[in-house]
Amino acid sequence: MPAPIEPISPLLPTPPTPPTLEAPARTAGSGEDFASMLARGLQELQNLQDRANDLAVQAATGTLTDVHHYTIAATEAGLAVQLAAAIRNRAIEAFQEIMRLQA
Amino acid sequence: MTLFSAIGIAGTGVTVHRKWLDAVSDNIANINNASRTNAEAFRARYVIAQEALDGNGAQVGGIVLGPQGRIVYEPDHPLADAQGYVQYPNIDLAGQMTQLIMAQRGYQANLAVVDRARDAYLAAIQLGRS
Repeated sequence: MPAPIEPISPLLPTPPTPPTLEAPARTAGSGEDFASMLARGLQELQNLQDRANDLAVQAATGTLTDVHHYTIAATEAGLAVQLAAAIRNRAIEAFQEIMRLQA
Repeated sequence: MTLFSAIGIAGTGVTVHRKWLDAVSDNIANINNASRTNAEAFRARYVIAQEALDGNGAQVGGIVLGPQGRIVYEPDHPLADAQGYVQYPNIDLAGQMTQLIMAQRGYQANLAVVDRARDAYLAAIQLGRS
């Protein structure tokens, strides 16, 4: 004798889920958004440039005690500029990529 | 400085070796100073290099003075005492030249670290650039 087939249970209405508008919660640890991170990076770049400028003035006026202090500061400032330019280029690249989505 | 810390750390090493070069230069410059036997002769300066207090790099912990001067019999010398002795700094020129080489090479090595670190950071910045 075959086993009795269970009747199919009717569909029950599911309560509608409210649309989630807020962004997903950030992972713990990254407590700042991109804009403030960018501002902080630019501030650091500004500090490095100021330091290199001060040392350049010292080198010109003869009060510089160590030659390498200026060259190292200039190297760090140059690297920071390149880093800022790279971040800016990547951000614009990403923005344009997103803008192309609608086309 | 935390972003390009390798460069800053190598910079502290350059500073230490620059001071070492200064000390060796001072020692060699004063190596033939004559003085009276009752005065203190020039004593060699030795730089004490040690780890930086914050753990990033090196620093000069202090300057240690070398031995007292040596007494030389030179009765013709204008600074000679009644017995004909003058005092000279107790500095070995060969040892100072060895230290000069070490200080110079250390200076150059730290600058090479700065250069390599810059190349490495540049490669990281240009990562993925098509």
